[in-house]
Amino acid sequence: MASVTTTQVPGMTGDFDNTLDDGVSQAPLVLGEATFREVTRKICRVAEAPRAPMAWYVAFAISTSLVGVLGVMITYAIFTGVGVWGNNSPVFWGFPIINFVFWVGLAHAGTFISAILLLFRQKWRTGINRFAEATTVFAVVCAGLFPGIHVGRPWFAYWMAPVPNVMGAWPNFYSPLLWDAIAVFTYTNVSLLFWYVGMIPDLATFRDRSKTRLRHTVYGILAMGWRGSAKHWQLYERTILILAGLATALVLGVSSTVSTDFAVSQLPGWHETIFPPYFTVGAIFSGFALVLALAIPARELFGLKDLITKRHLDNLAKITLVMGSIVTYIYLMEFFIAYYSGNGYEQFAYLTRIMGPYWRMGWLILFCNCVVPQIFWFKFARTTWWLALPAALLCLVGMWSERFVIIVTVLNRDFLPSAWHNYAPTWVDWLTFAGSIGLFFTLFLLFCRFLPMIAMSEVKSILPQAQGHVHEDSPAAAAGH
Amino acid sequence: MSTAHNVEPVVKEPQKYGLLAEFHDVQTLLDAAVALRKAGYKKWDCYTPFPVHGMDKAMGLRPSILPWIALAGALGGVFTILALAPLCNAFLYPMIFSGKPYWGMPGHIPMAFALGILGGTVFVVHGLFVLARLPQFYHPLFTAERFRRVTDDGMFIAVEATDPSYSPSATSQLLTKLGAAAVEEIRD
Repeated sequence: MASVTTTQVPGMTGDFDNTLDDGVSQAPLVLGEATFREVTRKICRVAEAPRAPMAWYVAFAISTSLVGVLGVMITYAIFTGVGVWGNNSPVFWGFPIINFVFWVGLAHAGTFISAILLLFRQKWRTGINRFAEATTVFAVVCAGLFPGIHVGRPWFAYWMAPVPNVMGAWPNFYSPLLWDAIAVFTYTNVSLLFWYVGMIPDLATFRDRSKTRLRHTVYGILAMGWRGSAKHWQLYERTILILAGLATALVLGVSSTVSTDFAVSQLPGWHETIFPPYFTVGAIFSGFALVLALAIPARELFGLKDLITKRHLDNLAKITLVMGSIVTYIYLMEFFIAYYSGNGYEQFAYLTRIMGPYWRMGWLILFCNCVVPQIFWFKFARTTWWLALPAALLCLVGMWSERFVIIVTVLNRDFLPSAWHNYAPTWVDWLTFAGSIGLFFTLFLLFCRFLPMIAMSEVKSILPQAQGHVHEDSPAAAAGH
Repeated sequence: MSTAHNVEPVVKEPQKYGLLAEFHDVQTLLDAAVALRKAGYKKWDCYTPFPVHGMDKAMGLRPSILPWIALAGALGGVFTILALAPLCNAFLYPMIFSGKPYWGMPGHIPMAFALGILGGTVFVVHGLFVLARLPQFYHPLFTAERFRRVTDDGMFIAVEATDPSYSPSATSQLLTKLGAAAVEEIRD
């Protein structure tokens, strides 16, 4: 039976440190009793428990209340008009676009983990890829919400699509806003399909373990009759590989396209060729901070410490550090190019960031995105929750502030000083943003409770007892003749 | 009504689906797969809770056409935009936007890129379902109690009764000889 070989480390205690990489034998990715059955049991336990942990109910109550607030705020904004927001002239893009860019960025870690790390054969991704992909899908949902309401008259939103109409008018295919709509539409669909296809074998596990008729029916329909056939696995693995290749292009493409909304305009501070990689790296940075911030409580709350180990947190923090350092480099480069260009408007735009009316946020960004991630150079900080969690949350604050400063400080200091006007969000703006956070957590908590949070089939496939060799001339093969 | 007494009750005899053999470790399963292939069996399949590396080689599975399906979808997406953009902006309602030409391909590349990825994704996922013949909510193997463990820790080989080399006794003996822990007959 599979239990003959396990990766159990002799003398291992509850708080085993598996973050050491000695290069010869890598630290185990699955701790505890690592049999196939035990992996199934540990992951299914979360969704099969008759009651969720108390903390789940408290978090769910708060999140759903915020979703209610979101509904009220959207209704209020649509019935009254977008004047209820702080958007003004010349700051026409206020919170809706800030939040849109922020949420799209948060989505990127899931795609990065499930696509790029898969192509690089990083086996440690199996413990965290499923719920990182879930954060992608839910963050894209939150992101899509904002342009939808920002158009002001959402019932005309379909005008963005090339629909034949009596006026004979068509969308402008040169407009970055249309590129953006298509890119986000693509991202939504691709991340949803990637997430769902990856989940099918695990949904079949839920189906086969279900005790009630309702669960059997619902998970049975979702699992599509998956039966673990080798012919199906061959197609499935090929599909996942192709999806990973496509999503790798997409993870680099979506935030690049979002950045063209800014870079294709003529405004100093936006009109820069560095914007596509800048937005993409910032997106991956904030996404990893989010996954780190979610993984720490999730592994505690649902008893998944043997599957989401300290080594996973260690690796997540390392990638956050790398991305944070690239972001720092880009900030330095932006300031340098502004100085080196000799262009007064460009120099003014960058001085406004750190010395203008929003200087506090400018410095907050530099602190949160450049200084804070540097604590991840230290292993103690990477593997200690009370250091890693606040650091990850500060990175998120920093990235949101960055979106705010990029959008507001460029618009509020127009070319002519007579057009200058500061921006202040209203209570409707703040509550809509809070509501979108509530929407994200509502979806995430439902996912944790009712769907396979960790990719069981993938974790099983990296266990030592799942490996075998094909011997064309083995005695067993000869027995067939 | 007069012919009613001629109608015989149609009770279909349960058809034999084949044999289901359970294995306890991956290496035995792989060796058994190689042996079954070499013994000339055609209609059989392995069932595992996770993808087994090397299984397609052991079973002699040919590479699928999925990459070509994905390519077709991706090219379809790209050319949709490259055709739609000039159709709308150059022919149906010619309009000059910021002094750019009616038909300027560079400005259409970002959308062609995105739609290419969307087309590839949608095609490859549907290709998976079509080639795997899913969804399929009923399968004879689901009637076996032990087969419920195929999504947990069970590893199986099923040989179908329609296979030319199939014989209830000889195939069963072969599977046992190859290391099967249990062999049972499955009826449809």
